[in-house]
Amino acid sequence: MIDVNTAVSSGQTILKQRMNSLTSSFAYEETAYHLPVSYALTGIAVHNPAAAALAYTKMQDNPIIAHECLLAQKTELDGRPPAPYTGFIPDTVLRKLGYSLVDGSIIGLALLIGKPEQGSAAAGICRELQEKYMLTFLAGDVVSALANEGVKVGLDYRLIPLGPTNFHGVHFIDIVARVAMMFGGVVPGDAGRLLSYAVERAKAIVLVFPGLSDEELALVDAMRVLGFPIVSLGQYESDQWIKATPDDAVARGMEAKGIRVTVTAIPIPMGCSPAFEGKSIRKEEMYVEFGGGRSPAFELLTMKDAAEVKDGEVTVIGPEIDAMKEGSANPLAILIHVAGRAMKKDYEPVLERRIHNFVNYGEGSWHVAQRDLIWVRISKEVVAKGVKIQHIGKLLANKFRMDFPQLLDAVSVTFITDQEKVLAAKITAEKVYDERDARIKGMLDTDVDTYYSCTLCQTFAPNHVCVITPERPALCGAISWLDGRIAYEISPAGANQPIRKGAVINQVTGEYEGVNQFVKKASHGEVDRCSLYSVMEYPMTCCGCFECIALMLPEVNGIMVVNREFKGVTPSGMTFSTLAGTIGGGAQTPGFTGISKNFIISNRFLQGDGGIERLVWMPQQLKDELKNRFTEKLEKQGLGGFFDKIADETKAVTIEDLAIYLEKAGHPALTMKPLV
Amino acid sequence: MGLPAMFDWNSVIREVVIGATKSDGGTRAVSYRIGGGTTLPFLEKTPKPPLIAFELCDSPQYWSPIITNYCGDVVNSPAEWAKTAGSAYGADIIRLYLTSTRQRNYSDFEAVKRTVELVLDATGLPLIIEGSNEPKIDSEVFLKCGEAGQGERLLLGTAEASRYRSIAAAALAYNHSLIAQSPIDINLAKQLNILLKEIGVPQDHIVIDPYTGTLGYGFEYSYSAMERIRFSALKGDTDLAMPMICSAVDSLSVKEVRDAEPGTRDTMAVAWEFYTGIAAAAAGAEIICVRHPDSIGKLKEAFRSLAHSKVPTGGD
Repeated sequence: MIDVNTAVSSGQTILKQRMNSLTSSFAYEETAYHLPVSYALTGIAVHNPAAAALAYTKMQDNPIIAHECLLAQKTELDGRPPAPYTGFIPDTVLRKLGYSLVDGSIIGLALLIGKPEQGSAAAGICRELQEKYMLTFLAGDVVSALANEGVKVGLDYRLIPLGPTNFHGVHFIDIVARVAMMFGGVVPGDAGRLLSYAVERAKAIVLVFPGLSDEELALVDAMRVLGFPIVSLGQYESDQWIKATPDDAVARGMEAKGIRVTVTAIPIPMGCSPAFEGKSIRKEEMYVEFGGGRSPAFELLTMKDAAEVKDGEVTVIGPEIDAMKEGSANPLAILIHVAGRAMKKDYEPVLERRIHNFVNYGEGSWHVAQRDLIWVRISKEVVAKGVKIQHIGKLLANKFRMDFPQLLDAVSVTFITDQEKVLAAKITAEKVYDERDARIKGMLDTDVDTYYSCTLCQTFAPNHVCVITPERPALCGAISWLDGRIAYEISPAGANQPIRKGAVINQVTGEYEGVNQFVKKASHGEVDRCSLYSVMEYPMTCCGCFECIALMLPEVNGIMVVNREFKGVTPSGMTFSTLAGTIGGGAQTPGFTGISKNFIISNRFLQGDGGIERLVWMPQQLKDELKNRFTEKLEKQGLGGFFDKIADETKAVTIEDLAIYLEKAGHPALTMKPLV
Repeated sequence: MGLPAMFDWNSVIREVVIGATKSDGGTRAVSYRIGGGTTLPFLEKTPKPPLIAFELCDSPQYWSPIITNYCGDVVNSPAEWAKTAGSAYGADIIRLYLTSTRQRNYSDFEAVKRTVELVLDATGLPLIIEGSNEPKIDSEVFLKCGEAGQGERLLLGTAEASRYRSIAAAALAYNHSLIAQSPIDINLAKQLNILLKEIGVPQDHIVIDPYTGTLGYGFEYSYSAMERIRFSALKGDTDLAMPMICSAVDSLSVKEVRDAEPGTRDTMAVAWEFYTGIAAAAAGAEIICVRHPDSIGKLKEAFRSLAHSKVPTGGD
């Protein structure tokens, strides 16, 4: 066991002595960056022993500078190392490498240094790095060990042999330094800038095999300053290094540096694209189906620790598709496990909803509804092409990784098609659904200090700003507060931005300083005030996507709601579409506002206008849709019986009919404080 | 006398350099510094009329027959075509579309490099290059474009929110500028500029393409988006303070042009390009792209007279 700290201090002493042994001048050809590390850190163009000594002293005897100078002199005297070794890499080649890094065709850099105990283990590590689109540099005996295993090296294989000695590992850093100067705008001599570039932007890891001398250990250990995780595969003892085995070295290094593999194509025998999302699979086109009331089926996405989720793993428990009878309904459980450093338990239901989109992206797979109500079909056409259940799993695992790269590091998918096992797993799932409902249901606007905006619709409604709170979903009904939060985390420059609600201006109408400031800015100065819980005073602006419109009916001292599906004329004398044309486009229209269906049963709806008792009219279909949840809520508020006092088109078509009906029903709005 | 100062603009549009002459390490006969505006178009003390880019391609089968018929044999050689565009048509900039890369399974990336080099040799005008249409080959194509034009300060197109990395990489590696296109949406335009900033593209290397619908076919949306982009920029939003480029490519395929009598088809095509171009210039575009050679002279004449016209001050 080698103690790294002891070795490093002895290595530094040796390096200091060797720096005195520099004699002649030296220079690399084909670069404008002199000795790149020295140049980037100190701004000194080092070409002779005196300049070398100056740079070395300036950087407090940094072992990287020492190695760079010593190797430059050695190369000057002995010449470039022979093929296949590259030695110092010219600027033109580096420009291309940098291109691939920015471009994303390589996602990070790795250095393998030292003498692996087993060539096969090194070969395995290289294969894994290749598969993960890392560009790997090799220094020392690892190169010959790989050659013995028949591993091909070279730029085309993303394995670059820098040189035959560990010493050559210093080229790895001169590459990073030059990329920083070429692509990162780092000015030579600005050491602070270089270091922050290396730490924040350079996605580099170092894997250390046994056999390093004290000087070489000093070099490798010095790379920690650059933010490179040092993964030890040898007998090195350091609390700053990561100990690993050949099996997990790459994963642990990449995890420590936060390097994520992005997936580009999904290897399944059917097309997969949002273009297929709207298709349906009819009974006669379907090969098999799951759920839809014909067989037990459910879906559940949960997060786990990184160690418990093997990325990309797809398991099918029970019969595969070829063991199912054509036209049959089969039991199904879709269980997705995800892991990621930024993942939170709150995101589970939001991600789970994406199963619906993703399955529908498949050319021959179809999905409706959610949780334990799902209904999934697979078409004959794609089953004939060889699509199996496991391929739907691959599709899901890949799509989740592709669409949520910042969030998820690993996704695994399990399908259960065995009836008994599905039923057993469903019990657990239902518990999770209940917990989630409780969590979301219990979430109040007063529990959080941050709301989220949505300006997605500014495309056509230039000054529209939706403010989304736990109790007030976006007016389109498609984005909840949690969705807003997750969308912001995933895309920090996107259409959903956090709004600090700030000081309360009016608790009842839901007006806040922070919200007003945000709305003013996001509406480009057009809207100064916004009350979240009022239709009458400073209501939210409307784009055009609202599920429903709430509007005042001064004649009956109340507020009515009409949903998009209702085609008839409302007591306001206007149809939904006429109303929508009047209030949409991003304007604020006191007395009118666009809302989602779910907001109607929120306790905040009409809070600023005297309470839910203001509600006088809704289309029957909307009433039916909300009935159970709405009456339950009203009961709790001590308003049992109120639901039946709300008129619909069967009770009242015109405002005159409505006034008569409300009078007869004893509707509370009639005796409330005048609306206007 | 100009208009009374009724705007309280407090910001300037960033300048972007297109093309490098010998003194800047390139081989262009001329280079342009676009942007720099401090108020709305044509209201500057010394108005800078938009530049006109002539669009051509290296595989004319993908081009409108109106243009290929009009231009004749020259369309079969992008180098000759580019030369003619400068000398005979009077273009300020050449915009080369690498339509050859649209063939299925395209893989001849050396040819991309050759084409760019030939066009650079044939004309002294600054170059805009439109790379591939296919994300799979972006990486190779833009690498070659970037390399071939090293030192020439090209304008590379077209970055979108879903695919900008290769173009950004080529711009960074070889010091070119790039076109950032968003679908008629000020917020998406801003978002893309932020993404480009994050990847390291300097903001004075970005030109905004707001996406230009053709007059009568959605141009009013483009106009509105451009107006808002420019307002925000002049009010201090630095993420939007870039020059804009407009290319109403659909002008040649709208019904009125397509169905025009053969004898009037050119006139109709030019009319559509011309009026869309004028409107785009009024909305603030610094570069107007056209495909019909006859559109160039007409636009230039119009810009000249706009720049020298007396602006009524109102009230008298």
